[in-house]
Amino acid sequence: MILNTIDISQLLSLLAFNRDEPMLFTSGLFWVLFLIFLPLYALLKSKRKKMMLFVIAFSLYFFYKSSGLFFLLLVATSVFDWWVAQFIESSKNRTERRIALTVSLVFSLGILLFFKYSNFFMINFETLVGGNFQPLDLIMPVGISFYTFRTISYVVDVYKGKIQPVDDYLDHLFFLSFFPCLVAGPIVRSRDFIPQLQDNKPASREMIYGGLFLIMLGLLKKAVFADYIAQYNNIAFGNPAGYTGFELLMAVLGFTMQIYCDFSGYSDMAIGLGSIMGFDLGINFNYPYRSLNVTEFWHRWHISLSTWLRDYVYIPLGGNRKGKFRQHVNLMITMLLGGLWHGAAWTFVVWGAGHGIALCVHKICKPWLDGIASTRFTRFVSWLLTFSFVAILWIFFRADSFHAAGQVIRGIITDFEWAYLPVFLARRSTWCIMLAIIYGLHFVPRHVWDTMRNWFINAPWVVKLLIFIVLIQLVLQFASATVQPFLYSQF
Amino acid sequence: MNKPYWGLWALLLAALAFFAVLSIWQDGISVGPLDIKTASFARDMKALFQVDDAKADSLDLEQNDDNWRAPLDTTAKNILFIGDSMLEGLAPRLAKYCDKNGHSLVEVIWYSSSTLCWGESGRLTELINKYHPDYIFVCLGANELYVPDIKRARRPHVKKLLAEIGKIPYVWIGPPNWDKDTGINDLISQETPRGCFYLSAGDTFERSRDGAHPTRASAQQWMDRVIKWMDTGCAHPIRLDNPGEGISRASHIVIYQPPK
Repeated sequence: MILNTIDISQLLSLLAFNRDEPMLFTSGLFWVLFLIFLPLYALLKSKRKKMMLFVIAFSLYFFYKSSGLFFLLLVATSVFDWWVAQFIESSKNRTERRIALTVSLVFSLGILLFFKYSNFFMINFETLVGGNFQPLDLIMPVGISFYTFRTISYVVDVYKGKIQPVDDYLDHLFFLSFFPCLVAGPIVRSRDFIPQLQDNKPASREMIYGGLFLIMLGLLKKAVFADYIAQYNNIAFGNPAGYTGFELLMAVLGFTMQIYCDFSGYSDMAIGLGSIMGFDLGINFNYPYRSLNVTEFWHRWHISLSTWLRDYVYIPLGGNRKGKFRQHVNLMITMLLGGLWHGAAWTFVVWGAGHGIALCVHKICKPWLDGIASTRFTRFVSWLLTFSFVAILWIFFRADSFHAAGQVIRGIITDFEWAYLPVFLARRSTWCIMLAIIYGLHFVPRHVWDTMRNWFINAPWVVKLLIFIVLIQLVLQFASATVQPFLYSQF
Repeated sequence: MNKPYWGLWALLLAALAFFAVLSIWQDGISVGPLDIKTASFARDMKALFQVDDAKADSLDLEQNDDNWRAPLDTTAKNILFIGDSMLEGLAPRLAKYCDKNGHSLVEVIWYSSSTLCWGESGRLTELINKYHPDYIFVCLGANELYVPDIKRARRPHVKKLLAEIGKIPYVWIGPPNWDKDTGINDLISQETPRGCFYLSAGDTFERSRDGAHPTRASAQQWMDRVIKWMDTGCAHPIRLDNPGEGISRASHIVIYQPPK
């Protein structure tokens, strides 16, 4: 007899932790679960406590799905730092307060360093002393860098008296585990988030559909643009020796936009989800490639990270309060740490150092630069220099090693021929069109996006549905569209 | 629930229903020249609802597990070797084995080709009709190591290619990975019966300047490893005694330009 039954083991394995398939906002499973989550959230929204318990449970499951039992680490961190903040607030003894802060920082950073940098330090130590270490088989909990930075900002702000500690532990756990920000930020501050949670205002129509608009924009950036152009970039960066200078330059331009679409697309989705749930998570990327200098770039790129580094590294180091020389040293330290935060490899350190040097040079030259008249031409030259510099540094960010980065740079300098342009355009026309569209969209004025957003919010429901369906279809079309890897055999 | 939430929920639900219904057409829908891709929803649901006869089929396979390998076929074969640029290194070495063992070899290199081009083109059927091979080697996959969602995107083409091969014994040599693939090896492994797929991904290669292709010498060693594996791991072993060092030339070589 033929019977169709739900295979429970299949269902459980679909819902269980899988290190190869973390739950991301681009996965179908997330959206199916969100469809179940949304009506329950809406029903519970006005009952603050119940809503919080429900969201915390969902967030912890979200974390479990991506990182397994490491979600308990987040719970432990939240308990510890909540208690430390309470202690700091209640203690009048300055030394005790300082010790509590230090213990909290050691605890949070210790966990982060262990999971993210153990192998990096071991390999470098091995290189220095010539040992024979085996790298540890560590699973890095997804998003650990982001929630660690959030919890540090909370404890430090309480220590500095900028905020009061939250009385209710659940408020803190809600803040730390809030699933839209869990995997890739933005690094929201407790002082911005907790008041919204405590007010628990209902989400307006503008927030809900504005959130959907942002999610759609994020999906377009991440799942259509970034993922498609990444294919060619991966191939070229994977075998730089096999590509001509022109092809490598295209890969660099491609990666420059891929990383923006990837990071900012995911941020858009997170901010959109937050907006749907009634939370304003701020802006994380503000058209960074429009910047006219590197300082401006860092005011527009990954804003929640750059302001975090400013407030919790640069300023505590002394900022610009201890003279020009110290200011430059502080900038370099901040950017080196910022580079290392992005990944445990020396290529990231070089990327951070490059930006640090550029920031120092800009600070030194600023009086002279301010004296130059702002014309279209000077603005264009400033933009071109800034963009080129940022793009070149992305090579170190993307390349697997210094050797590979060197091959890319050497290829572009020594093996560049415009003759490849027509062949490239003909063979990779979709890729080129897509890249051109992304660059074009990046320079669409903000007010145009705002108009589109408002139009979408006020559009009839059916129109919204149609737009949403068209977008998802685009994602499906490009999810299986491929770029040709090898134009010619170079055997 | 406030009204905008209800509206958003209905919108997401309607979109899910729309894509769920479309996903019944697993291979996509063609509207004129436009090929509309569908989601994997129906396939995922099907995986959750096990059909008992499917289980029975798999049980049959397990019961017949001992019979997966045919006895060594010592007759001279008419071999067709198809694939991408990797054949430049592999085929000359196979030709040497063929010379030694009395097989004839037709080599068909389609540069930059993938399972997609072969599956869509029907070229293999033409080649089979033309050369009447009784044994086939395939080396494909190197040009699709990074294809996203590959299992969904390429499964129909792999199936089509295997259907074109039909009952002719074959060996599919997997791509020589230089980086982690997005699932091409898994896909071929899932679609081919036991003993018909040689996984090259774990092998070590000395690379040519492009970083992707093995050097000539390394490609010859690769072919040697495949043939050694055929001794014990191949479902349809044929006589391939070691011819000693060196390479030879296939009796017929066909070259196709990269697909547009």
